Amino acid sequence: MEDPGIAERLVDSLVRPDGSPKKRPVHTIGIGATGSFLASHVARDYCISKHFQGTETPVTVRFSNGSGSAVQHDGWSDVRGMATRFHLDDGTATDLIAMTLPEFFTPTPETFLDFALAAKPAKFSRESPWRKILDMLKLTPPMRDPYPGETVRPDEGAMRFADRNGYAQLAVFQAAAIGAPASYDRASYHAVHTFVITAPDGTRRWVRFTWQPIAGVLDTNPNAPPEDVYLQDKLRERLALAPARFSLMMSIGEIGDAFDDPTRPWPPHRVRVMMGTLTLDTVVKDQEADCERLSFNPGLLTDGIEPSGDLVLRARKDVYEISSKRRGAVPCPFSRSQANDE
Amino acid sequence: MTNDGGWFDRFVDSLPERGWFKFLSTYVVVPYWVWRDPKPKLPGGPRASAQPSENVQRMMNLIMPLKDSSPIGRAKAALAIAQNVDEIFAGLDNVGTVHTARFLLLDDYICMISVYDGDFSNYIRDFIATIGSVFDEVVSLVEGGDDLIPTTHNVERFIDWVHAHDLFQAPDFPTDLFGLQDTASGRSPDSPPHELRSLPRELILQLNANPNISLGGGYRAYPGFSAAQVRGKFGVGW
Repeated sequence: MEDPGIAERLVDSLVRPDGSPKKRPVHTIGIGATGSFLASHVARDYCISKHFQGTETPVTVRFSNGSGSAVQHDGWSDVRGMATRFHLDDGTATDLIAMTLPEFFTPTPETFLDFALAAKPAKFSRESPWRKILDMLKLTPPMRDPYPGETVRPDEGAMRFADRNGYAQLAVFQAAAIGAPASYDRASYHAVHTFVITAPDGTRRWVRFTWQPIAGVLDTNPNAPPEDVYLQDKLRERLALAPARFSLMMSIGEIGDAFDDPTRPWPPHRVRVMMGTLTLDTVVKDQEADCERLSFNPGLLTDGIEPSGDLVLRARKDVYEISSKRRGAVPCPFSRSQANDE
Repeated sequence: MTNDGGWFDRFVDSLPERGWFKFLSTYVVVPYWVWRDPKPKLPGGPRASAQPSENVQRMMNLIMPLKDSSPIGRAKAALAIAQNVDEIFAGLDNVGTVHTARFLLLDDYICMISVYDGDFSNYIRDFIATIGSVFDEVVSLVEGGDDLIPTTHNVERFIDWVHAHDLFQAPDFPTDLFGLQDTASGRSPDSPPHELRSLPRELILQLNANPNISLGGGYRAYPGFSAAQVRGKFGVGW
């Protein structure tokens, strides 16, 4: 990264007043599960990575609410996260970090710092009925009413930032209406960034990954009062009954696509390849030791998968590592070994 | 969502569902904004793109108003298609770049819905060359169609006419609407950026200019592949 201090400043900027220094600054509330990933019969034709060769790969997954609040509000509209660690048979690992928002807010670490500062959760005033009427007459949606107990939120700051910076508009618009999933296993999760994969014949492809739930996508009713605590219980109930499964879909980019810009999703008409199926069957027993203290990292890659030129992807590697150190988590794999490093 | 803003706030929240407010919105508020910020009709069909997968499996949603939408007029339109099925199917085989095509009678319109590969103008040219006589019959039943007959002698005008009757395809990503409207109005796209909360209004105004639209680029089960590639893969090509 060109600015060596920006990762530190990014972590600082993400800390919320209602967060906790002992937890992650974003995606603070989460739950871990384990299972396995089985590559499809075509995956090995596209990528030489070990987990795409057709044998079962054990995985650890952490689902999370995107907010950095240390208080659980499952039913609030929020981006959700799905961090997946593939435990490879040679003892190394590779991570795939995904979220329900299909794109990122900014194209560079510097602009993300600006965004994080502008959208830092702040106190806000409920929109008055008269202001709502004025909005309706302007054919613009009123700002969302606060949830019970909600005192700070990023919405107003994010909206002002998006009004000045067109690249943030799609993510802010979609995040504002993203809602809450009925269960963590009923949402699609997008890895957002572009990766470069290598095929057995040496062909390199620029690709993006998405997890799609085989049970289907299902949100809660946005007009019903939100429940604060249900997502972790739902996952426990779900896995006690039967495994939850996701398909790993890979879109192949084409010349002219935004390879290095995570604010621009690719159109849905790109060639898609079904790379494998994730099966989750067990909730992690000791959540604190075996999930919350784990340090996932989007830069933890393996042979056959490289980062693209996406500057945000490259910056996240340092940001995750700093965040991990600050909360005293299990040291990031980068700290132990550079074996998996790019 | 729970509303603890008091009775007046709850009442205001309920306004969009109240009949008198819908009436006010439809007949006063929206017309005011249409007058104040009119939007040009956005062109139909897929937009130009350099990416290969954007140039295969392209959609045409040709919506043509019937001159006579009575049951008799509709029956004439149905007969025009039914009596030419062989010609249409043989023509589509000869065009070779069509995945699917079908005609619909929908309210007061006869519609041709098709999925094709390659350039729009070439697709229409190929069509006229192969089934121009069928199109002559169809456009003779359609408002504004008489001037185009015979279509084989009015190819460029027919292409423009088809383009005008092809549905505008809403962008796959909602905020891209700003840029499309800017371009149609001769402005630089998103420069300066628009107020994000104005997007619903921009959509409403655009739907006033383009009442019928295609919602996004649609789903493709085998994206990125042409009809010729699919035929070749399964060994049934021509």
